Amino acid sequence: MNEKELLRHYKTTGDLSALGKLYSPYMSLLYGVCFKYLQDPDRSQDAVMQIFEELIQKLRHYEVDNFKSWLHVYSKNYCLMQLRRDKRTTQVDIEDNLFESEQKLNSSEEAKWEERDFERLEGCMQTLNQEQKECVRLFYLEQKCYKDIADLTGYDLNKVKSAIQNGKRNLKICMERKENGK
Amino acid sequence: MENNYQLSRIHNYIHGLMSREEMFQLEKEALEDPFLQDAIDGYRLQNGVDAKQLSLLQQRLNRRVENTIATRHAQYYTWQRLAIGAAAGVLFVVLLALLYFKHFNGKTERTTDVTLSEPENMVTIEPMLDGGDATPLDGWKAFEHYLNNQVKDAGKGGDIIVNFTIGKDGLPAQIQAEGTPGQALVDETVRLLQSGAKWQGSKGRLKITFPLKEMKDPAQSNVIKPPHCFGIEKS
Repeated sequence: MNEKELLRHYKTTGDLSALGKLYSPYMSLLYGVCFKYLQDPDRSQDAVMQIFEELIQKLRHYEVDNFKSWLHVYSKNYCLMQLRRDKRTTQVDIEDNLFESEQKLNSSEEAKWEERDFERLEGCMQTLNQEQKECVRLFYLEQKCYKDIADLTGYDLNKVKSAIQNGKRNLKICMERKENGK
Repeated sequence: MENNYQLSRIHNYIHGLMSREEMFQLEKEALEDPFLQDAIDGYRLQNGVDAKQLSLLQQRLNRRVENTIATRHAQYYTWQRLAIGAAAGVLFVVLLALLYFKHFNGKTERTTDVTLSEPENMVTIEPMLDGGDATPLDGWKAFEHYLNNQVKDAGKGGDIIVNFTIGKDGLPAQIQAEGTPGQALVDETVRLLQSGAKWQGSKGRLKITFPLKEMKDPAQSNVIKPPHCFGIEKS
């Protein structure tokens, strides 16, 4: 059974072994996600199990289309709720999380690029700030990894990462605006 | 599995075991896949992937799934047992009841007299529509019920037709019997009408039938035998 079939099977029968099969491939990724927010090995493990417990109920009632991204958002919210509950302050990079709440819904439509699209992209590149421009160019055009970019520019590795994430987002917004505004 | 593959990539990435191209590839994937990016961030915070920890987690999940299935089976068997128990209980009670009745019936012969309320044993009324418009306030049914409860001595019984008017107080007045019924019958009828429910209308004309009694001659029989008897009649 593939993921969709497992989901449907579980929704209709409530067969826990189906849910287990569905959940288990994501557990190691989920553990990483939970650790990112909870920053404690035991709590993260418990969170992974607790999320499974909640899915037992939720997945019988909700229609879930894209299980992977749904699970990601659900788990992230679960962890953030945990943090809020014990009122522990953690530094969560707003920029980072802004990026992550965007889904890759539109990325599949890789339309053919025409000459004027490249011109538009070049125009949009100019709207980015220096860091973003630099990092995006090195990453996407020269295909360098974060570490190399950090070495080349002297920026911190995390700074490189968020510059690329935010630069990418800004480019996308800019491109869409130009396309509509034209 | 794809899962393990992804995990070992994360592991290699964090520990700098990847070539630049591989690192770029993973970074590019993570840009399109926030889930992956979050996981990478998490493992980087933890300084690596702990395979043992993850296999423990996998075991926890397996145990969780198996437990529920086992519980369900246990419950299922419990229900089955309950059903068998209940069935056995019912059988036992039935058996006891059968034994009891057999025993009981064998020893004593029982007589059951069942008297049905036959129309002949009841006081019935029949409003004569040609003679008036009076109706009991509570309805004919209630009035008939009242008569049956309150009748005492109507002599030999039988039919009587009475005419009456409804007084200001709603009670029958000027009650007159038609024909020549027995005095006891007339008296009882008057008594019943006057102490009964109130009426509406102005004039009434009723036929009341009292059960016939043959107790003129006490020597004959003091016992009124119900017309129908069920069961064994003992003489």
